[in-house]
Amino acid sequence: MIVSSLPIWIIDMVGSILMIIFSFMCLSLVGTLRTRDTGNVIWTYLFWVCLGLAGFAVSRSAGHIVKQILFLSGNEGLWSSIRPYSGAINSLMFVFVASVTLFFERIWKIYRQVTKDKQALQGVRDELLFLNQNLERLVAERTKELALSEHKYRRIFEVSQDMILVTRLDGTILNMNPAGYDILGYEKGDGSFARKTFADFFLNDSEWQAVKGSIERHAFISNAEVSLKHKVEKQIRVLVSASRDVSFSDKEDTIHFFVRDIEQRRQIEEQIAQADKLASIGQLSAGIAHEINNPLGVILGYTQLLIRNEVADTEKFNDLKTIEKHVRNCKSIVEDLLNFARSSKPNEDVIRVDQALDDAINFIQQNAGLENIEVERRYQAAVPEMLLDEKKIKQVFINLIMNAKHAIGKEGSLSIATGFNPVEGQVIVKIADTGHGIEEKNLARIFDPFFTTKPTGEGTGLGLSVSYGIIKNHGGEIQVESKVGKGSTFTIVLPLISPHPRMKHAKVHSYHR
Amino acid sequence: MDMTKFFQKLGLIVSVVFITEPALATQAHSAPEGLYAHQVAHIFFIVSMGILIYWLRERKLVQAVGWRYIQYSALFFILWNVDAFFVHLVEEQLALVDIQRMGLWEINITTSMKSQTLLGLYYAAKLDHLLCVPALLFLYFGLRRLLKDAEALNSRTVQP
Repeated sequence: MIVSSLPIWIIDMVGSILMIIFSFMCLSLVGTLRTRDTGNVIWTYLFWVCLGLAGFAVSRSAGHIVKQILFLSGNEGLWSSIRPYSGAINSLMFVFVASVTLFFERIWKIYRQVTKDKQALQGVRDELLFLNQNLERLVAERTKELALSEHKYRRIFEVSQDMILVTRLDGTILNMNPAGYDILGYEKGDGSFARKTFADFFLNDSEWQAVKGSIERHAFISNAEVSLKHKVEKQIRVLVSASRDVSFSDKEDTIHFFVRDIEQRRQIEEQIAQADKLASIGQLSAGIAHEINNPLGVILGYTQLLIRNEVADTEKFNDLKTIEKHVRNCKSIVEDLLNFARSSKPNEDVIRVDQALDDAINFIQQNAGLENIEVERRYQAAVPEMLLDEKKIKQVFINLIMNAKHAIGKEGSLSIATGFNPVEGQVIVKIADTGHGIEEKNLARIFDPFFTTKPTGEGTGLGLSVSYGIIKNHGGEIQVESKVGKGSTFTIVLPLISPHPRMKHAKVHSYHR
Repeated sequence: MDMTKFFQKLGLIVSVVFITEPALATQAHSAPEGLYAHQVAHIFFIVSMGILIYWLRERKLVQAVGWRYIQYSALFFILWNVDAFFVHLVEEQLALVDIQRMGLWEINITTSMKSQTLLGLYYAAKLDHLLCVPALLFLYFGLRRLLKDAEALNSRTVQP
């Protein structure tokens, strides 16, 4: 087949020239890329690819051009001697370009890793730069925030009405808020407080061991009711919550205690329970007393009729007198029970409390004697006249003073004081003795009817019950504080019921509120 | 002792001691070796470009215009290599085609296979610059686009 070689010649010549041009243009571009980013391995990779292609283009195109020129000039023999060199160089260039190309995947991975590391470094650098530029401001802000936070929590610690306490694991006190000192009765900086542990304030060691054990086992304890010792040796019932604070530094773990004083609440609860108990007993007593009172009246009436018809000093007369005496005793007890049960409305006599107290003391001095007892009277002059049942109030005072006399025994002192609280409209009477005191176990029962610590026959056990009933009947309160071996103090609080209309400034109560 | 290693060592000793033939220190390279080496180089080039296309697609780089052009460049290089391989094969390796110059701008192409198709294919394959020049052109376009993208990225990074 005879064909024109011109197309082949033209395409060969033009193509060879274009290959050289384009390959060097590529090399130039990739050179620019490398110059812009010298650390980029992808550009380095493409540079070597383009370098190989440029070498290939030069060797191949030069060979082709030379070949065509030699052919046209009739020097085909010369081309035969050049041809092996041209072909060999071409082959080498293929292999070079192909070999470099094979590294693409590895180069790409390196590029990705470098880019990632670079971005991470850039992020760190930006952060460091930001911190460096804003360090002072950031520190100032953080310090301010910390100060505010510290102040806030310090205030909670300082003004809390409950005890907040930080101790070591063995109970050694590290820090305690002012409320804690108040609850325990100490002043901050008190020398006697310094060496104490929290365990020392527990009334019962078993309770401390239980609290400690729970914290060790569960790392916390919640609302455990325990009794603590006040500085003045009185009991304080509290609710203890605590949690163990695990230290993340080298410092040892600590325990954070939160202690709530519930002594007052417990006392009120006990008083309410006592009042409920006495009210129940009173209701029962009143029912029985009413039922017994009528038959006793009948027995007494008929006994007195029989006595009237009998000759005096006969045996029958004496027997009837004995019956009459015991019936009267029974009636007296029934009356006491009715008084205790508040079944009868008190009379409204205008009296002065201090006068009534003096009358009671005089009565006892005349009938029972107070020779070896030092009686101290501290009457407040401001105590006004009041509407009270004089007879019953005097009975209360006589009961209490007689009890004090029995408690004091042969020698001691008796302190009787009155006070007036115009704001609350209350008159307060305190009768304190230095007697043997009342055991704690008996304190809750002393107002119970028929409860007595006196030997059989010396007391009916109705004195304090009747006094309680009378005071309650007047709308008042009677309380007792006692310590064995040191004495007892009975406090009567009576609402002011004034007979004088002018005393409007005072808070005026009525009996039946 | 591991029996496999033992037999391997034994076989090596027997082959060295008993199976001996005259050995020449340097191997002779006759004329066809150059052609074969050149053809193998073409195949290597084809494989290499194929692998490049594979990774460009695998790494999703072809989504970027610049790398897509480079992919086209690799594809044209593969076609060019196939073309060149074919020309070398029929003209030199198998000697199926013979060319005689008839004048300044005329040639006579003959084939022992009496196939006009082969002659037509051979003539077309001789125009191989129609494949390798576009390959370089696509490479140029690809690099130009990469440079443009790099400049755009750089300007975005520099901007506050």
